[in-house]
Amino acid sequence: MGYAIALAATAACFAVRLALRPVMHDGTNYLIYFPAVMAGASAAGFGPAMLACVLAIGLNLPEAGWPPDPSHILIGAIFTVLSVASGLIGQGLLRTMRDRSAALIALETQEAHLQSILATIPDAMVVIDESGLMQSFSATAETLFGWTAAEAVGKNVSLLMPASYAHAHDGYLHRYLSTGERRIIGIGRVVVGERKDGSTFPMELSVGEVHTAGKRFFTGFIRDLSDRQETERRLQDLQAEFIHVARLTALGEMASALAHELNQPLSAAANFINGSSRLLAETPPKLDRLKPALEQANDQLLRAGQIIRRLRDFVSKGETERRPENLRQLLEEAGALAMVGAKDIGVRLSYDLPPGLDQVLVDKVQIQQVVLNLMRNGIDAMDGCPKRELKVSARAMGDQTIDIAVSDTGPGVSPTVVDQLFQPFVTTKATGMGVGLSISRTIAEAHGGRIWVDSTPGQGATFHFTLRSVGDAELADLD
Amino acid sequence: MTERIVHVIDDDEGMRASLQFLLETADCTVTTYASAADFLAAADPAPGCIITDVRMPGMNGLELIQALNARGSGLPVVVITGHGDIPMAVEAMKAGATEFLEKPFDDERLMRAVRGALDRSTAEKSDLAPDPERVRLAALLQGLSPREVDVLRGLIAGGSNKSIALDLGISPRTVEIYRANLMLKTGAASLAELVRISMVAGFS
Repeated sequence: MGYAIALAATAACFAVRLALRPVMHDGTNYLIYFPAVMAGASAAGFGPAMLACVLAIGLNLPEAGWPPDPSHILIGAIFTVLSVASGLIGQGLLRTMRDRSAALIALETQEAHLQSILATIPDAMVVIDESGLMQSFSATAETLFGWTAAEAVGKNVSLLMPASYAHAHDGYLHRYLSTGERRIIGIGRVVVGERKDGSTFPMELSVGEVHTAGKRFFTGFIRDLSDRQETERRLQDLQAEFIHVARLTALGEMASALAHELNQPLSAAANFINGSSRLLAETPPKLDRLKPALEQANDQLLRAGQIIRRLRDFVSKGETERRPENLRQLLEEAGALAMVGAKDIGVRLSYDLPPGLDQVLVDKVQIQQVVLNLMRNGIDAMDGCPKRELKVSARAMGDQTIDIAVSDTGPGVSPTVVDQLFQPFVTTKATGMGVGLSISRTIAEAHGGRIWVDSTPGQGATFHFTLRSVGDAELADLD
Repeated sequence: MTERIVHVIDDDEGMRASLQFLLETADCTVTTYASAADFLAAADPAPGCIITDVRMPGMNGLELIQALNARGSGLPVVVITGHGDIPMAVEAMKAGATEFLEKPFDDERLMRAVRGALDRSTAEKSDLAPDPERVRLAALLQGLSPREVDVLRGLIAGGSNKSIALDLGISPRTVEIYRANLMLKTGAASLAELVRISMVAGFS
């Protein structure tokens, strides 16, 4: 190809030479062929340039006569040197150009790859500069936020947040730029985004930082969490349902003890009232004893009401919400419920709750359910044992963990079942369902704690679970 | 019945006070004890009768009756049981309790039981004529068919319809029918009353 161009250019130059013959007849006519050399060099490098050079010399020779005069030889030599030089330069230039275009193609390919990746990943991408202005807005971001890239680019990124956050965002950016303290970069967190139509949605935001050409950019990847949160909420609902059913089951197993506990004040109240009506039936009625009797009847009925209230809280479905709770009170209330009927069979309960126990952030009823399960298990385990002592203790473990333990003086847990004790439907009781401990584990773990058992066969078992404590400072933070 | 005292033994303060009040409105003299051990520790109880809860921490009602028997105490014992606590009631009756009451009970039942117990406490030593109530109830039980007697025995042992059916080799449905017949023939309004009638009548 290059050679054809050289040949054609040389032919064209020869035609020009023929046309100029009447006015040019010394060695300078080599100059006429120089464009042909250049054409060959620029089109295809060294080879074609040399072809043009050789042809030009060949075409000039007949005119120079024989032997050619020295000026002709000199100009021919200079022409040859220049042609070689041009050929080499042309060759070099061509190679550089080829390299550069290869690099360009590679770059383009890479960019296309990147674009396809960005278009494919489910995360939206938004790039902002140091002042918070959006530089790039991906297609997914368009779908997610409802703004087009054209609308978004150049605007402040606070456009994508609810007003309450938008004001603060510039401050965050400024703080990072001045202190370098990372609150979100490389960490990622769940924040609230706002769509063009003003609706908000939960999103997970991860931010990366890029330095190019002396400027800093921040790239945000955004994942829409609406669906995921919905799924999680549904799962939590299901779990809450299951936990509630387990609670009812636990109470069902206590039904006769509870009936007994209620019968006590009701029978007493009935006695006071029956006695009162006897007093009224006498002639004359003995009124002086009536008032204290009716008051006592009332007291007994209130006592029954209290038991029912305690039960109602426990039976109620309630929303699963964590609040700061007083651990001591929580444990004592659960203990009161668990000990229903247990006193009569000679179980002694003691508490070891050191003063100054922190508050815990828990779903109270669920944690009480765990305590109740563990205590009832202990009481059941000690049935028929000579020593029947149940102990509920709590102690701070440092690193904000509180260890709560329920110990009994029963036969202990057989080593063969220890490992699977917290599995669903594993039970050592004749009438048990085997859900109590597995539910307890679910609850403890959902609260960020663990549950386990220490047991010495023949000397009793101690069930532990942990909860995270919350200090006063943290509580203040919550508000 | 003023010289004869009703000894009330119950760990529950409300029950204790209310029983005392109710019995006093019926002109009984009452002393109360918070536990069986307290009662046994009291020097030489006055003649009369005992009303005791069957479920108590420490010594329970059943153990109290056994302890009294071991001492040769002549005091009749009325036992109060929780709802559905039939096996415990049967045990108490077998050990020698004169009557059992299921909580909650109406005052007439209590009065009848106490009166019966106090009467027995005076009659005990001579042990003269048989108790007319006992004779009446025994006559009722005489009218039962052998199968009904079997079912009654099962019920007194604390069995469920299902377990009785299994023991007798009949269907639970059939047990239900026998059970209904038993209630009809004895005039008992509840399982507890049926068991009480059987115990008072000396059924075994």
